[in-house]
Amino acid sequence: MAEVANSIDQNPIDQVDQATPTVIHAAAPPDLEVVNMTKRFGSLVALDNVSLHLKPATFHALLGENGAGKSTLVKCIMGFYRPTHGDVLVDHHSREIDSPRDAQRYGIGMVYQHFTSVPAMTVAENLVLSRLESPSVINWKQEMEHLATFMESSPFKVPLELPVSQLAAGQKQKLEILKQLYLKSRILILDEPTSVLTPSEADEVLGLIREQVTDRKLSVLIISHKFREVTAFCDEITVLRKGKFAGTGLVKDLAVSDMAEMMMGEKREPTPVKKTAQGEITPVLQVQEMRANKDNGVEAVQGLSLTVNTGEIVGIAGISGNGQREFVEVLAGQRSPTGGQILVNGEAYGMTRSEMYKHRVFVLPEEPLKNACVAHMSVAENLALRTFDLPPQAMGILVLFKAIREMATGLITSFKIKTPSPETPVGNLSGGNVQRTVLARELSADHINLLIAANPCFGLDFAMVDTIHTQILAARNRGVAVLLVSEDLDELLKLSDRILVISEGNFTYDSPIEQADFKAIGQAMAGH
Amino acid sequence: MAAEAIGWWGVPLSILAGTLRGSAPFLFVSLGECLTEKSGKINLGLEGTLLTGAMSAYAISYLASDKWGIPTSVSPWLGVLVAGCAGMILGFIHAWLSQQPKVNDIAVGIAMIIFGSGIAFFFGKAFIQPKAPQLPTIDLGGWSTMPALQSALKISPLFIFGILLAPLMAWFFKSTRWGLFVRAVGDSPDAALAMGVSIKRVRMLCIIAGSFLAGIGGACLSLYYPGLWSESISSGQGLMAVALVIFARWNPIQCLWASLFFGGAQAIGPALQSVGVDQGRYLFNAMPYILTLLIMIITCSPKKTLSGAPGALGTING
Amino acid sequence: MALSRSNWRSTAESIVIPLAALLVALVLFGIFCMFAGKNPFAVYGAIYKTAFGSWNAFQGTLLRAAPLMLTALCTALPARLGLMVIGNEGALVLGGLGAAAVGLILSYGSITPNPAQLQTTLGLAPTVVQIGMALGGIVAGGIWIAIVGALRHYRAVNETISSLLMNYIAIALLNHLVEGPWKDPASLNKPSSFPIPEMYRLGNIGSTRIHYGLIYGLVACAIAYFLIQHTTFGFAARTAGGNVKAARIAGLPVGQLTIIICFLAGSCAGLAGMVEVAAVQGQANASIVAGYGYAGILVAFIARYNALAAVVVAILLGGIINSGGALQRSFGMPDATVLVFQGLVFLVVLYSESLYGRFKVFKEPEIPMTPPPVPSTAVPV
Repeated sequence: MAEVANSIDQNPIDQVDQATPTVIHAAAPPDLEVVNMTKRFGSLVALDNVSLHLKPATFHALLGENGAGKSTLVKCIMGFYRPTHGDVLVDHHSREIDSPRDAQRYGIGMVYQHFTSVPAMTVAENLVLSRLESPSVINWKQEMEHLATFMESSPFKVPLELPVSQLAAGQKQKLEILKQLYLKSRILILDEPTSVLTPSEADEVLGLIREQVTDRKLSVLIISHKFREVTAFCDEITVLRKGKFAGTGLVKDLAVSDMAEMMMGEKREPTPVKKTAQGEITPVLQVQEMRANKDNGVEAVQGLSLTVNTGEIVGIAGISGNGQREFVEVLAGQRSPTGGQILVNGEAYGMTRSEMYKHRVFVLPEEPLKNACVAHMSVAENLALRTFDLPPQAMGILVLFKAIREMATGLITSFKIKTPSPETPVGNLSGGNVQRTVLARELSADHINLLIAANPCFGLDFAMVDTIHTQILAARNRGVAVLLVSEDLDELLKLSDRILVISEGNFTYDSPIEQADFKAIGQAMAGH
Repeated sequence: MAAEAIGWWGVPLSILAGTLRGSAPFLFVSLGECLTEKSGKINLGLEGTLLTGAMSAYAISYLASDKWGIPTSVSPWLGVLVAGCAGMILGFIHAWLSQQPKVNDIAVGIAMIIFGSGIAFFFGKAFIQPKAPQLPTIDLGGWSTMPALQSALKISPLFIFGILLAPLMAWFFKSTRWGLFVRAVGDSPDAALAMGVSIKRVRMLCIIAGSFLAGIGGACLSLYYPGLWSESISSGQGLMAVALVIFARWNPIQCLWASLFFGGAQAIGPALQSVGVDQGRYLFNAMPYILTLLIMIITCSPKKTLSGAPGALGTING
Repeated sequence: MALSRSNWRSTAESIVIPLAALLVALVLFGIFCMFAGKNPFAVYGAIYKTAFGSWNAFQGTLLRAAPLMLTALCTALPARLGLMVIGNEGALVLGGLGAAAVGLILSYGSITPNPAQLQTTLGLAPTVVQIGMALGGIVAGGIWIAIVGALRHYRAVNETISSLLMNYIAIALLNHLVEGPWKDPASLNKPSSFPIPEMYRLGNIGSTRIHYGLIYGLVACAIAYFLIQHTTFGFAARTAGGNVKAARIAGLPVGQLTIIICFLAGSCAGLAGMVEVAAVQGQANASIVAGYGYAGILVAFIARYNALAAVVVAILLGGIINSGGALQRSFGMPDATVLVFQGLVFLVVLYSESLYGRFKVFKEPEIPMTPPPVPSTAVPV
């Protein structure tokens, strides 16, 4: 593949005209090279002398742990960040890319993990607006005709008249890719594009993109951590580790274990999962026909029922946007249900503070800083969020800050929270340490009855992920009932005793882990 | 309005007059605020801008004709222009300050109400007594013999301009590149950034333009109806216009209808007074505020976000 | 706003930056005076003299500061919960009406007694009547703002807009009552309710000309500070004000907190209204609306919603407002001048908000930490 690409790769430079949008016809996509790029944010070095070569018409994967610098690298290429040092070469010419518009001029487009379409505007409006030189006054009749023609010839279809806010997550992602094709990008950067797609949708999308690459219409740089996709679709990989270049090579020459080793720097095995057999099994959490709405009033949870017993991890798998967020928010007390009943230890549970305390319910929500912490309050105060109104931290209505500080100091040590002092605002801590703070608060109580965790490991590095998994397993082995909602199927397969799948607000799969069928789970995620 | 002679007919006539004349300030301020909020920022300070606009329009109209020798047909229009410019200056201050990191939109608005009112009253002290030339009016009621009806149907070109502005703004949001940019910035700053749009610039322009319109709204008060300048000329109209925009779901055409509605509601108190219903006149005059409050209670809902609300509204910078 | 950092650096920052802002505002005001053709230093001098120049002058300042301390709490308390309430004026008015009503009923048995019988009261002790009036002010003002809180919690109505509308409604109510059902026929020039008997009015402290309203203000601020910083209620409120989602996940009753805090806020302003009626005017009339409401917002803001700082800021601002009359007499500047000054201060202090965390000298020494993972979802601003 690479040899063929090289021989045709002699594009005359003067075809690239900066004033008009670049569309190079009948020639291969441009060569993209990053040379010795460094990016500093204050004292933090996010990228350190990284180089990468995206050959024309190749499918190149950028691998690395969370925090390795992959996002920073592509954002520098796209012009979101100005690199501290380093060059971006398009067709062997050094180019200054100061904004995404500049990148678009050179034919480089990016599909973000976070959708960048305007929710309130229709698909058509978004597409027209994304053009570099959209007209000042828009003749909608004409534009709609053009768009209809474009849609006919494109690999996937999205309804033009719908506001983007009404599209499903999978459709939104397809729209992002369509947008790049509409803009005639030749180099496509994809940032974890399949995280919101079902396994079969992911295969469909990547397959279609792969075809475009093979037809020499596109070069693709994909950020992914899914080895399955990398080995199935990519030609080459580059690996980053802690901001530095950690290796490159052709996919056909590398085994998955080689790639993993480049990513982590050593052969690292996760702590083996040891589950102890449980004695008497009693139901702790019983959800009966729960219903809940999204923020915009549309029903998200459509009558869900489940039971979680002592000493059991029940996992809920599903693509983001299928109602699991609202489900967890109801159980955590952050959203009012519109129907159904919730019982904890056999009693009606209304998510009030006293009930949480009585039934020893604890929650590890996703995005801990946003959902479970007060950024401007100190680490100590955040650690005391569940206990500040009880002795020894309170005497009647009086809060005893000394006792709060004492408990905090202890937890900071035992959970290894890196903070200058217990009085530091928790918002100043790094993501991992915020997560440790929340873990410390939720997992340190003497008796935990029920633990609800949602995407607890999102965005964390391998070591942190291992710690959290160990903690959750230890809790389970102690007899805690655990409800684990996650978008990471591997995590669920590893930890759960029983696994369910949520799709469009309904449970479409339910089985003990021994009988779990990966293929069936994938289909259930797609709603079949 | 001399309604005694026509008895109770005076009431609907007054309301009609109020709708045609009294809705002009609401119209301009709400359209201006609509533009601002579409870009994702709230400008509560428009109450102060309204006052400053009213004062400067009146002052310039008076000075121009009295001291600078400009004919009385031109001086009010000069006043309108200056009122708009005064609005732009206040808008610039608001835009610059509210886009600084960590600064709260709403607090800036409150500060601008105080500052704007202060400036208006300070410089306006000298102009309470003199009489400034008023904007010309078109006599739609010429066919009638009733003086009350005639005066009710005297409308200003400014009002017509305002009515035309609403569909123009709607078209702007739907079919122009800049209008789409504004909507993008207001709904999803992330998306706008990816398109290479300068969020700060778009918002600044929208806030300044919105304030320009609010200044003109003030000119409507002092040069059209009620056609005088005093410290009590506005009593929360700027604020009500902000609530109006929510009620109109950020749609310019609905801002037009809502403004007409409010203009009429505002006239109920004085209308009843003019036919001798004096009891509880303060309460009738409080109708617009009560109405606004009721509308907000009915319109807003904690269970779901309002449809049409720009996504970025209410987020604080930094 | 970072309100709970408790090392010396952040305290220093919280004092230096607002002070610097005040100085800048003074300079800007001086420039404004120059534009208006007045010598800024003469103006500064006049302000200083009428505000702090003598014990007599200072008494006037304290008199102005007293209601400001109370109305400031009407904004400062809900701000802890993340709410921007500016209904201070309305709550003050309702408080005044409530106090007047209770006062008249406890004095004569009715809000509109027979003018011929004004000489004989029911004979209750002054303390009883004063406590009754205070309660009347507290409850009336409290309910008024509690409505704002309830509307916010149950109907998601923006509290700034609703509280401002309620101001206008309150004033309309006041005018309606004192010119109508409650009117004292003897009050011809300035329609008012019947006057509260002399012996029941709030007296002055010792031999000064400062009424007891000052004590009310100081005590209220002290209680408010203690409540927010040292009680479980205050902790819960600060949590909810910092992050509602975190408060909910901890099971804190956000709705209850909202309504209680709003009630407390309104009751402070209501107490200020009671003071206006029972100490200053002696009766309820349009004069109790003296702009203390809006100035109270400014005090709360400059004090960064800290009740103790509000005492100091109230005295400073009280002094400046006090000088409004002198500026008019000596320099011919309209009383709107003070409004301009307040607006300038507000704007400059607002700007100074963005300066927190920008000066190295106030920063905690950096401990090199592992870099935060840059999530792919974040697009930089």
